[in-house]
Amino acid sequence: MLEYIGPALQQLFTIENFLWMNVGVFIGSIFAAIPGLSVILCIILFLPFTYKMTAIPGMMFLLGIYCAGGYGGSVSAILINTPGTPHAATTMLDGHPLSQKGRTKTALRAALYASTFGGIFSALALLFLAPQVAKIAAQLGTAEYFLVCLFGLTIIAGISGKSLIKGIISAALGLLISCVGADPLTGYDRFTFGNVRLYMGLDLAICLIGLFALVEILGKAEGKVGPLKLDTSKIKTEDKITKEEGKRMILPAIVSSIIGVIIGIIPGTGASMASWFSYDRAKAMSKHKEEFGHGSIEGIAAAESANNAVTGATLIPLLTLGIPGDGCVAIMLSALMINGLNPGLSLFTTQGDIMYAIMIGLIFVNLFMFLQGRYLTDLFAKIVSVPQEILTPIIVMFCFAGAFSVNKSYFDVVVILVFAAIAWIMKKLDMPTVPILLGLVLGNMTETNFRRALLLTDGSFSIFVSSWYCIAFLVLIIGAVSMIVINKMKEGKKGEAN
Amino acid sequence: MKDFIKNMEEKLDSMGAKLAKKEIKIPTDLAAAIVFFILGIVLMLLVPSQVTVGKDEVVSGAAFPTYLCYIMIGGSVLVAAQNILKMVRKEPVETKTINALVEIKALIIFGILVVFWLICNLTELFVLGALWCAVAFLLFFRCKKKSYYIITVAFAVGIWAAFRFILNVNF
Repeated sequence: MLEYIGPALQQLFTIENFLWMNVGVFIGSIFAAIPGLSVILCIILFLPFTYKMTAIPGMMFLLGIYCAGGYGGSVSAILINTPGTPHAATTMLDGHPLSQKGRTKTALRAALYASTFGGIFSALALLFLAPQVAKIAAQLGTAEYFLVCLFGLTIIAGISGKSLIKGIISAALGLLISCVGADPLTGYDRFTFGNVRLYMGLDLAICLIGLFALVEILGKAEGKVGPLKLDTSKIKTEDKITKEEGKRMILPAIVSSIIGVIIGIIPGTGASMASWFSYDRAKAMSKHKEEFGHGSIEGIAAAESANNAVTGATLIPLLTLGIPGDGCVAIMLSALMINGLNPGLSLFTTQGDIMYAIMIGLIFVNLFMFLQGRYLTDLFAKIVSVPQEILTPIIVMFCFAGAFSVNKSYFDVVVILVFAAIAWIMKKLDMPTVPILLGLVLGNMTETNFRRALLLTDGSFSIFVSSWYCIAFLVLIIGAVSMIVINKMKEGKKGEAN
Repeated sequence: MKDFIKNMEEKLDSMGAKLAKKEIKIPTDLAAAIVFFILGIVLMLLVPSQVTVGKDEVVSGAAFPTYLCYIMIGGSVLVAAQNILKMVRKEPVETKTINALVEIKALIIFGILVVFWLICNLTELFVLGALWCAVAFLLFFRCKKKSYYIITVAFAVGIWAAFRFILNVNF
């Protein structure tokens, strides 16, 4: 590891990298702060920009957006009681009541400090854990890799919707879409309908623009667009976090960061789960339980440190196994692969300098997030007030320009329209779309390893129970499915009781 | 002109009010099961014609998509069976209200997007499509502020210029 640190720092410390980190943090904070826009939408819209960049600045830009998204959502949650991102809903529970007590600045600062702590903790976890996990990953064969993909897909299918089976159907659809184009083993074309433009398959970024960005635009049909009434003068108050409050923040921030890292490593879980779980833990551990829900500084610290602690941890399965921890990092995978960086142990050996530069860069991303949050929150809040009437057509223009720029073809614009229509129908049918994303990302890897494994045994499925790793992954899959089913049944019973 | 706009808005409001009352409730799980069952069958039927298989392949390129179709069909049957069982037992099932006004508005937005693509595709000038997009969406939101039109049109030109001159996307 140490031999890579020097070259990595050399590659990292360039003006270009630091500029893109800051641009990413700035844009990410704004997108996350605006209710209705999301970090995933932001990453999708700006992904085409990274195609022109090399690996490090491209990843710094995307990581800037991703990490700032963890904090940005808390701005509107605290100021107007509307979470900018789903995981900021937990911050809102105490952030807004604290703001209503006239302590807006304290709430925002607590969220910022906790976010930065969680983010740096997570970046360090990534730096030290990822190479170790990569060593284990190097021992896995094709059958094990297939089961790892299956594990990731099963968890995401189970968690992202109300029904596990519907999630599995969505994942199957995503995997089927990934089959379009040349067969990864033989090169024969599949599902191309004679269209040469489909021979290379469907580009991930294009599918995602339709599935996640344009469908948000169609969603504008569901409600009236009103201006956000943000009172930025509230931020300019002179209140501060007291010494006593600072001390009270430390324990929940540490515990929540550990929880965030553990949850972040498990594919498909995400920041929302980490926030709620950590908030519950902080409440159980606190000596001031009565304050929770009424402006508890510990509540803000727990929620924010947990959701930012997820950011680095989600990169561990991504960089080592190629399994994205959540939707945002799934998109980052394509930014890595376009630069010839394929997940696995080789990433930490042959391209160790680039990899360590990215991982160390994540620490700096969090530091810049802290600085921008400290001095630019007032500006973020003002930009958040941009009317939706203006934002909507601008997002559409970015979607179209981004889709066209990938292959310089208007055919891709048709593809995003088709995917938007699919996502709209799925929304109406209460079908989750995140498993489609994972299916698209993992499709090639899942199929290639599945077929290679079967080729080794002349088509016998016995290869999937042939090693201890296989058995361990099968046990994990069965355990995860059982837990998801039990939880869904409990939720169902709770719903009926209510 | 002002009277014309006022009359138009009144007509649209009355149409909207009528449409907003038209709602149907659909059992989402059952509907999803039917849609994906049909999709699974269609895709499975397409596999032989759309997937070229080489001679003597142990695991051909058709195997993986076929298994996925089985999963899709099997999953749909399970969801449908669960729902039918609930209906027979007179237990509540997942439903969603489909509102005619929302769907027509979504269709209009989709129409704006299709026209955007048509303009770009026919003229090969992205900026023209972007200008259409700016104006069409502001009209859709019934925006009357001139400043919003100026800002959005400026953004349309700015986005085109950024992609054209910074990212070298020739459109």
